[in-house]
Amino acid sequence: MELLPQLLVNGIISGTLLAIPAIGFTAIFAVLRFPNFSVASHATIGAFAGYAANVWLGLPAAPALIAAFLVAALVGLASDEIALKPLRPYGALTAAIASIALTIVLENMVRFGFGNELRGYDLPLVRDWRIAGVRVGPQQVQNLVLALIIMAAVFAALKFTRIGKAMRAVADNPTLAELKGIDPVRVGRLTVFIAMGLVGAGGMLLGLGTSIDPLTGFRFILPIFAAAVVGGLGSIPGAALGAMVVGIGEELSVLVLSPSYKSAVGFVAIVLVLAFRPRGLLGERAY
Amino acid sequence: MHSLNRRVFLGTAAAALSAPAILKAQSDAIKLGSLTPLTGVGGTYGPSMRDAISGVIAQVNEAGGVLGREITLVSEDTQTSPEAAVRAARKLIDVDGVSAIMGTWASSITTAVAPLAWESQTMLLCVSGADSITQLPHQGFICRTQPNSKLQIRVAGDFMVEEGATQMAWIGPQTPFAASSIEILEEIAAANGAGMESLIYEADKSTYRSEVDQILVNNPDFLMLGGYAADSTVLLRDIWQSGYEGKIIGPAYAVNQTVLDALPPEVTENVFTWEGAPAIDSGAYANVQAILGVEDVDPYSAQTYDHASLAILAMAAGGDVTGDTIRQNIRAVSQGEGQMVESAVDGLAGLEGGINYSGASGPCDFDEIGDITGTSFVFKQISGAAAAEFKRV
Repeated sequence: MELLPQLLVNGIISGTLLAIPAIGFTAIFAVLRFPNFSVASHATIGAFAGYAANVWLGLPAAPALIAAFLVAALVGLASDEIALKPLRPYGALTAAIASIALTIVLENMVRFGFGNELRGYDLPLVRDWRIAGVRVGPQQVQNLVLALIIMAAVFAALKFTRIGKAMRAVADNPTLAELKGIDPVRVGRLTVFIAMGLVGAGGMLLGLGTSIDPLTGFRFILPIFAAAVVGGLGSIPGAALGAMVVGIGEELSVLVLSPSYKSAVGFVAIVLVLAFRPRGLLGERAY
Repeated sequence: MHSLNRRVFLGTAAAALSAPAILKAQSDAIKLGSLTPLTGVGGTYGPSMRDAISGVIAQVNEAGGVLGREITLVSEDTQTSPEAAVRAARKLIDVDGVSAIMGTWASSITTAVAPLAWESQTMLLCVSGADSITQLPHQGFICRTQPNSKLQIRVAGDFMVEEGATQMAWIGPQTPFAASSIEILEEIAAANGAGMESLIYEADKSTYRSEVDQILVNNPDFLMLGGYAADSTVLLRDIWQSGYEGKIIGPAYAVNQTVLDALPPEVTENVFTWEGAPAIDSGAYANVQAILGVEDVDPYSAQTYDHASLAILAMAAGGDVTGDTIRQNIRAVSQGEGQMVESAVDGLAGLEGGINYSGASGPCDFDEIGDITGTSFVFKQISGAAAAEFKRV
């Protein structure tokens, strides 16, 4: 029990980082109505783009994060146009399966270019701070702040900009939005661009504290999916909340379960929510 | 449209796959298979493991082959993944018809490939340590040159006690040897009045902060890592960040040069590693040095040199080229009465009068279930991101 405050801190940090890709995943679901599992490889691509900017070009973490966002966003847009968009008329299941195939292709392209080795970002490594018996790393705090800034920007954009309002309109009622002169194809493209950018940035944030390899994104697909389902698929605040639930739940599970069952927390969260509250904690409203 | 495409594809694929079988019927060469991790976490070792095997084969072919026939090597990649390894082993067995598969690395991979080997009567020579491997019903079709994990952990546990451990801890992922490792360390700790904690975590996580917090609750002064390179990288970083000041030991395959290169040097400073030591003063070791063109031969390449030599000598001794011949004759050449030889070529020359092969990885004597006996170990300590010899036992 003396570990409880420490585990809570660990959980809040990992939940916040998880929220960024989860928001991207759920935003695509809200607007395009299918679960895009290629977020796994886009998180990897973002992590590697950030790595290239950080290690090869010598940029600090924050600008490298922008590189991660842009590269993942552009790859996301291109791969969606080529591979997923033509299949969307055949239904959500078809598109979802295609996205799994897409993620395998993209992951192996990363492997082809970068190889299988582990790579670490070029960041100064410092010992953790200890505050009232709870340890927290300076790098973690920086990641946390970056994640919170990104989230604030997303919420502000959805609330105050025309693009954000258009996205919410299409998510709520595509037919009505089209009648009002909003082009759903354009909004779809924008959504994919922003969402995959978020996923890429999230992939880099998750990788910053550790090492990355071509499987980096794939390791997070279950918690990302669980976060989105728990919060309510298609609900952006829901994804953020769901990420906290999954992140904190995974860390706290260490108290009662062997750590080798950590991933089970994601599964259990999905099962519980689907059994008792299928629309998720916050329901389906996009915002 | 789709199914038509698939059919055409399958037809082409089948034709392509059957082509080597036709070639096989025409050629008279003996086929041996190398199944090493050319990619994945074992990718640091796989290529030179394969090169050691092909070096032995080249030397034997140059000296006139075995039983009047040439040997060809078919090399496949395990990708350090059991399912890729099974696919590759199927190909080696069904398409190429090899008589031996050599060099499987990582216990999960050897365990996955093993049933294919004994069912097809193909000899499997591996470098994996889990105790469970030689306890499989393999009917003699498995021999390993890697000391089993019980022996490895016992040696390392004794080392921890000698280096002053009073509160030991083991942290690692779920592997075929996790439970037995913990059990052995608990025995050693109890016999020496030390404490012992253990924690099994889930592999492939990007952070182990909470796991590290938990294992450090009782303030251990000597930690043993039980994973492979990928999770050890994450774990070593998390342990360092936590401010842990005690000693750490990890298997050399987990704390290897890629890990040292991926981490800042202060994280790995003073970490101990250990591994089965190759017989560095032997003629066989010098032969592997020459084959690979390197000064320091890793223990796995030394072992695969022995795999190839033993397989070839066993075929020559039995007068046939099947996996079953190797199975029946391997001990006659590895621990037989007669002259000690250190290469396949010398062994073939002296076979008449009886030989006892002694290799680059050690004396290469096997017990009845295929475990190696009489291995020595080397402990190293990391300093400035490089491992330096600490002691040999």
